[in-house]
Amino acid sequence: MMRIATNQYRDMMSTALQTATAQMDALNLQLATGEQYTAPSQDPVATVQLDRLSRNEADITQYQSNITTLQNKLSVNESYLNSISNDILSAHDLLVQAANGSNNAADESAIASSLQPLMQSMLYTANSTDAEGHYIFSGTMTNTPAITYNPAAAIGARYTFTGNANQQLVAVGSGVTQPANVALPQMATLLNQLDTAQSTLSAPGVNVNTPAVSGLVAATITGVETALGSISGTIASLGGEQNILSTMNTNFSDINLTDQQESVSLGQVNYAATYTQLTGYTTAVQAAQQAYSQVSKLSLFNVV
Amino acid sequence: MSMISIALSGANAAQAALDASSQNTANLQTPGYSRQGVVLASVQPLYDGAQVAGSGVAVTSIQRFSDQYTNLQLWNAASGLGQSTSAQPYFTQLEQVMGDTTTGISAGLDGFSSALNAASEDPSSDPLRQQVIASASSLAQQFNSQSQLMTNQMTAVDQQRTSIISQVNELTTNIAQLNGQIVAAQATGTNASGLLDSRDQAIGSLASFASVQVADQPDGSLDVSLTSGQPLVEGTTAASLSATTNPDDTQTLNLNFSNVSFTLNGAVGGQLQGLQDFQTNVLQPMMQSITGMAQQVATSYNNQLAAGFTPAGTAGTPLFQFVPAGATGTLSVTPGIQTSDLAFSSDPTASGDGGNLTQLIALDSQPVALPVLGNVTLSDAMTQIVGTLGTQSQENQNAAATAQTVSDQAEATWQSVSGVNSDEEATNLVQYQQMYQANMQVIQVANTLFANTLAMFNPAAVI
Repeated sequence: MMRIATNQYRDMMSTALQTATAQMDALNLQLATGEQYTAPSQDPVATVQLDRLSRNEADITQYQSNITTLQNKLSVNESYLNSISNDILSAHDLLVQAANGSNNAADESAIASSLQPLMQSMLYTANSTDAEGHYIFSGTMTNTPAITYNPAAAIGARYTFTGNANQQLVAVGSGVTQPANVALPQMATLLNQLDTAQSTLSAPGVNVNTPAVSGLVAATITGVETALGSISGTIASLGGEQNILSTMNTNFSDINLTDQQESVSLGQVNYAATYTQLTGYTTAVQAAQQAYSQVSKLSLFNVV
Repeated sequence: MSMISIALSGANAAQAALDASSQNTANLQTPGYSRQGVVLASVQPLYDGAQVAGSGVAVTSIQRFSDQYTNLQLWNAASGLGQSTSAQPYFTQLEQVMGDTTTGISAGLDGFSSALNAASEDPSSDPLRQQVIASASSLAQQFNSQSQLMTNQMTAVDQQRTSIISQVNELTTNIAQLNGQIVAAQATGTNASGLLDSRDQAIGSLASFASVQVADQPDGSLDVSLTSGQPLVEGTTAASLSATTNPDDTQTLNLNFSNVSFTLNGAVGGQLQGLQDFQTNVLQPMMQSITGMAQQVATSYNNQLAAGFTPAGTAGTPLFQFVPAGATGTLSVTPGIQTSDLAFSSDPTASGDGGNLTQLIALDSQPVALPVLGNVTLSDAMTQIVGTLGTQSQENQNAAATAQTVSDQAEATWQSVSGVNSDEEATNLVQYQQMYQANMQVIQVANTLFANTLAMFNPAAVI
């Protein structure tokens, strides 16, 4: 049997109490922070997983924020396009009216002067800018207006598209981009056609029954219809894009939820289990302390 | 008749034994005290004769209960414990700083990536561009504070090593002096037990700093050397340890013994090796990786920016500046950079183009060659570094737990041999007190016998 020195019992007791106290400290920290792992060394693998999940979450949060901003931006685009579309419809009505052979020169002149504000409205809307003064419909050349009006040029060539047809691509996923803008090159053609028609119809003594004038009006009506079709198509494609973005947003929310659930199951402390452990250690420490106080009373010196 | 002198020798022996027990009891709480006891032997008769029992008892020596093998176990355990516990505070600090994913380089990279992604909404937007510069600056600060932490740790480890070296030198000098005192005491037959206790304790402290082996010498001195063979103490001569700093900020240990100089490799055991291993295997690779990351951040983003165009159509200028400084370096945002200097466009004529921005966004998912880590993406590199740190710290904690168990066991074994048990001493006190009283009784008996003998010749004296 091993000989036991008096201090061995004390040393053993102090080691046991220290170990238990360290464990209680760790459990208390877990309960206080709500985190299962308070240092990477407690479970390096789980730490790496948690780190990846939190990075994923950060990415998704940014993508979702981009999607929301992009959806707003597309809605703004859509409302501008609707306004243009309404103007085009009004212009179409006026031109159909102008094609009526019973109109006299005064009637045509009145129609022509009604066309003027519509053209101004279309030009103004096509050259819309965002809050920072960047042009919305000029492709990626956001510092130049989409349509430039040069009053000195010949009629029919006074409007030019000064943007480009390139798309601004917004990151809405890892390696996934969606266009944030639409360019309106067709508006220059339309405005030039309307300009020509307006100028012709407002000429004194214009007769709509001459082949030149009626041909021009008919061609302009065709042009307006083409432009309307093109704008309507763009509006429809914006709607489609909105749908794609909504779907992506929902998917991201699902992924985020799954990630968060995994984060919780990996990284969040199990309160019940941890509290039970803590109670276990507390009981053990109390028992050890009582045992120590009892056993240390035993000494032969007390009786000799 | 020798009853009285025999009894006197018994009483004297009992007193010596009581003294030993008193000394043991007095040193019940003295660290490193080895208990002592008397060695008793009967004394041969002074003259021949079949009816002579002997001439009493003698204390032949005072025994110091000590076992060299147990001591060696204790010292080995101290080296193991020193090696695994010396680096743990540094591990813990690194873990606390780097383990938090909401701060630090990981968060900085996420923030920068978010700002770039957000800028893709409207590449020409000034507020969004400003956000890119702000988050780049925050990323640079995260790199710098991490570098600062690692540089501080490097310095702290060096300082701790310097302090250990001066303690080692004090201890070797102390052991050499004790060797001299012990040899002198034993030559004159003085009890050297206290000196031996001091020397064993000094060797124990030394063993915590570096792993040692000891050799007993016939004259009572102990020779101490490193386990790699270089001498620390021989007789009354002590070695002296020093450290020199190398150009790469590492330190080399040198040992000087009697004007002979030895260069030590890191494997000296104990705290010195624990610190050396932490610097070489943890801190330096991490510094290389993180410095490499900072440099890659600067190079990758600057190169990509140079391939693009600013809103004004000019070629891009660098966003980051990396200045190497010793083992680490500092990352910063180019001073005075404006939002209009960021080259997000891939078309010099289109200020709203985000082609180059898309390339910039993709950079954090493209593998780059980093020191130690190999080819990893920037976003994965930090996760990998923290994972590696966690594993290394876990290994060290496991080693420390094992070393603690071994040390506790060695301490228990040592206590079992050399430690004082108060109950045992109480028993000894009772027993030797009884022995003393019995011998006094013998003298009493001898006295009575003597009185009776005298009375035979003088009956009147007997009452």
